[in-house]
Amino acid sequence: MEKKRMGKLQKIWITLKNNAQLRIGLLLLIILLLIAVFGPVFAPYNPKRLNDDLLAAPCAKYLFGTDKLGHDVFSQILCGAATSLKIGFIAAMISAVIGVIFGGVAGFFGGVIDQIFSEIMNIFLMLPTFFLILLIIATFGSSMLNVMIVIGLTSWVGNARLMRAQAKAIKERTFIKSSIAMGESKFSILVRHVIPNGIFPIIANTTMNISGAILTEAGLSFLGLGDPNVISWGQIITAGKGDLPKAWWISTFPGIMTIFTVLTFFLIGEGLNRVLSPKMDAKK
Amino acid sequence: MKRYLFKRILTGILVVAFSVMFNFAIIRLAPGNPTRRLAGKDNPNPATIAALTEKYGLDKPIAEQFVLYVKQLLHGDLGYSYVSTAKVSDLIKSRVAPTLMIALTGAIFGLVIGTLLGVFAARKRGRKIDTFLCSISYLFDSTPSFWLGLMMILLFSSVLDWFPTSGMYSLRVNAVGFARFLDLLKHMALPVTTLVLIDIPYYFRIARSSVLQTMSEDFIMTLRATGMSERKIFNKYVMRNAIIPTVTVFGITLAYMITGVAMIEIIFAWPGMGRLMLESITNRDYPTLSAIYLLLSTSVAVMMIVVDIVYAWIDPRIRVE
Amino acid sequence: MSLLELKHIDIQYKTPVKTVYAVQDVSLCVEEQDSIGIVGESGSGKSTLAMGILRLLPDNITTVRGEALLNGKDLLAMREKELQSVRWKEVSVVFQKAMNALSPVHKIGAQMEDIYLVHYPNEDKGVIKNRILELLHLVNLADRVYYSYPHELSGGMMQRVAIALALIFKPKLLIMDEATTALDVVTQTQILNEIMVLEQKINVARIMITHDMSVVSSTCKKVVVMYAGRIMEHGRVEDVLVNPQHPYTQGLMRSFPSFTGEKTNLRGIEGNLPDMSVMPACCVFADRCPYAQARCRSEIPALTEKAPGWQVACFRMEGGEADA
Repeated sequence: MEKKRMGKLQKIWITLKNNAQLRIGLLLLIILLLIAVFGPVFAPYNPKRLNDDLLAAPCAKYLFGTDKLGHDVFSQILCGAATSLKIGFIAAMISAVIGVIFGGVAGFFGGVIDQIFSEIMNIFLMLPTFFLILLIIATFGSSMLNVMIVIGLTSWVGNARLMRAQAKAIKERTFIKSSIAMGESKFSILVRHVIPNGIFPIIANTTMNISGAILTEAGLSFLGLGDPNVISWGQIITAGKGDLPKAWWISTFPGIMTIFTVLTFFLIGEGLNRVLSPKMDAKK
Repeated sequence: MKRYLFKRILTGILVVAFSVMFNFAIIRLAPGNPTRRLAGKDNPNPATIAALTEKYGLDKPIAEQFVLYVKQLLHGDLGYSYVSTAKVSDLIKSRVAPTLMIALTGAIFGLVIGTLLGVFAARKRGRKIDTFLCSISYLFDSTPSFWLGLMMILLFSSVLDWFPTSGMYSLRVNAVGFARFLDLLKHMALPVTTLVLIDIPYYFRIARSSVLQTMSEDFIMTLRATGMSERKIFNKYVMRNAIIPTVTVFGITLAYMITGVAMIEIIFAWPGMGRLMLESITNRDYPTLSAIYLLLSTSVAVMMIVVDIVYAWIDPRIRVE
Repeated sequence: MSLLELKHIDIQYKTPVKTVYAVQDVSLCVEEQDSIGIVGESGSGKSTLAMGILRLLPDNITTVRGEALLNGKDLLAMREKELQSVRWKEVSVVFQKAMNALSPVHKIGAQMEDIYLVHYPNEDKGVIKNRILELLHLVNLADRVYYSYPHELSGGMMQRVAIALALIFKPKLLIMDEATTALDVVTQTQILNEIMVLEQKINVARIMITHDMSVVSSTCKKVVVMYAGRIMEHGRVEDVLVNPQHPYTQGLMRSFPSFTGEKTNLRGIEGNLPDMSVMPACCVFADRCPYAQARCRSEIPALTEKAPGWQVACFRMEGGEADA
């Protein structure tokens, strides 16, 4: 047992050694999580506090300066990290769950179900997603929960397509056929064998979806459709937009943080994909 | 091929149908009174209420309302913007050209530069320049377009003062002829550059990976074994095979062009569809919003079918399916 | 002078992690109109050998050493230009996966024409087309293939296209790399028969790379048995396959149904290929050999002549006759 564990750890280590994207991505993720968890503790000011210095340039007192109302940008950024991560994670999870179930059912059951489900996927694929999100948020209000749900509901098709392909392939494998022969119910086979065995590409794609969700949230905030009750990087960027010529720091720093965060998940996703299909990796 | 095309057209029709239903539903499902929503005011006057009830049959059963709605749509009646009281269709018409102007220019430059860089990187695979280009592409891929736009303004307008920050023409100068064209170009420079920078990594990655993919195909080995020059193999065979995904992606980008540039239009106050969208959102101008949405879904559906046709044309393998 | 003479060919794959010794010290002669089968299980280096001497392996990660004299000129030492002028005109290849042997988005006729133009850039288009059609007929294909895309043909038809393509310049040497492995038995037999008929007509020598002993026994005059990158035994088919000397050949023979159709002795050889990333210092087959002795694990057996044109790399040969 001990030996087996060691072998696994060693394998992970080797994977990391050969996979720069994954390595850098995970490193960035650790930093990011630390910021999100401990950021509020280390924030020098209450992010909502209106300090006396308006539009102060970055200095020792205000590391990233202040905005026109006197908010300390550094504290705001630290507190906004959790918002971005939360929205990214939850939205991506929603899309993963829907995608896995939808794609799993379509691929595993096949036949008419598959045809109908595939057609629904095709329709969703053709919808102008971002505008759809805008329209819904503009109509139903921009609470953080709404934002997460809507992003999740509009980004599951990629996962569903991956899962469908996986389910179709796994269905043909012997151990599934023997499970069917042994009388295990179809639903139980789907949940216990097909999905766990085909989940890896969905994990990689979901990591990428976190990036997408964070970007979407930033875009919504920028359009004034962010949750007014939370601090998010997109909103800080928007707040600084009007003062850009005189106070570059307000919009610049949260933007850099956004890039950094999106990049993190993007790299991890790419890295996982490379682990999955090392073919493109082999130096031919 | 015919069957395939037929299927795609069917999907396209379903997409449009879905969008129509969605539009119909969202105004009626949204919290609050649909009259209020359509009027855009919390307390519309009785005359407005009466007019709207009449127009959309709001007192009739849902099914009847839907039939009425579809009928109006089929007549090209997208309703009136309550903000400017102009016909929504006219409003949109006036905004399409500026959007297409920057969107197309940006898409073409992005396509050309991104693809060239991607092919270049694929040929230099594993070398420093390849790694460098890949890293840069990751970086730009992670950049929100609106933020990049802001940074462009900061750098090229505020600091360097090379380009104007907003609009299509300078308001104070009333230039004509070529001078006016130059003025337009100057105004286009920043939004288009931003768009190109956002698009490049996309085409870069696709071109790079499909060139690498093609170069590892078996038929490349055959051609090498025949003594064909590497240059001819690359220019004729690798490129022709590797270009297929790029063409498809370009088509899809064109389909989503209008949403793609919305953010950038907003940043640079470019008088296009994106700005109209933002204005409608801030004013909760539902007739305009839903009209834009319908237009978008229809154009996306149409473009996707066009992409499929083009795809079938450049990739003979699709034709038989 | 032999048509092709290989002298001490070594081929290595180098990756950052390890070096794989894919082919070790292979020497071989191919005479005009010869037909030689190279057999061995997958991973034994037979394809690598063929690709290596034609310099078709990616040069950034492979090293090929030794000499490969084609009509006395060393392929491995040639300049790029000279090599290109030799390729396909004197040596052509029918590759493993014929389905992917041509570009999927160009018509077959157009590709064959392009290939023709490589060596005769100024040839008249009409002449080329006639030549291509003539070749297609030669392999029993209809004219319409000229205007088809690869995916429109079946595996067997593409295999014929690949053979026609390989014969386009009437080469002296044809290398068939598992060329019929992917086909069903009927088509395979058909194509093999056609090839043997063609050979009589056009005077071409053939190297047949396969793991199928029956293909070798029915179509080749000589056989080379490779294992883990080395030649274990080679000689005339009627010698080697009838009375195999090397324990590995004997094992291989037992893993295939005999020619007469008896399937009684169908059993494989125990064990797996050795780790090819370790430079061997002993007989590569020792681990799986039923007769292995201490010497087999400390020395590399050289190829020893058993009879004229029949060589075996086994210490058991030195002690005179080996009883099979």
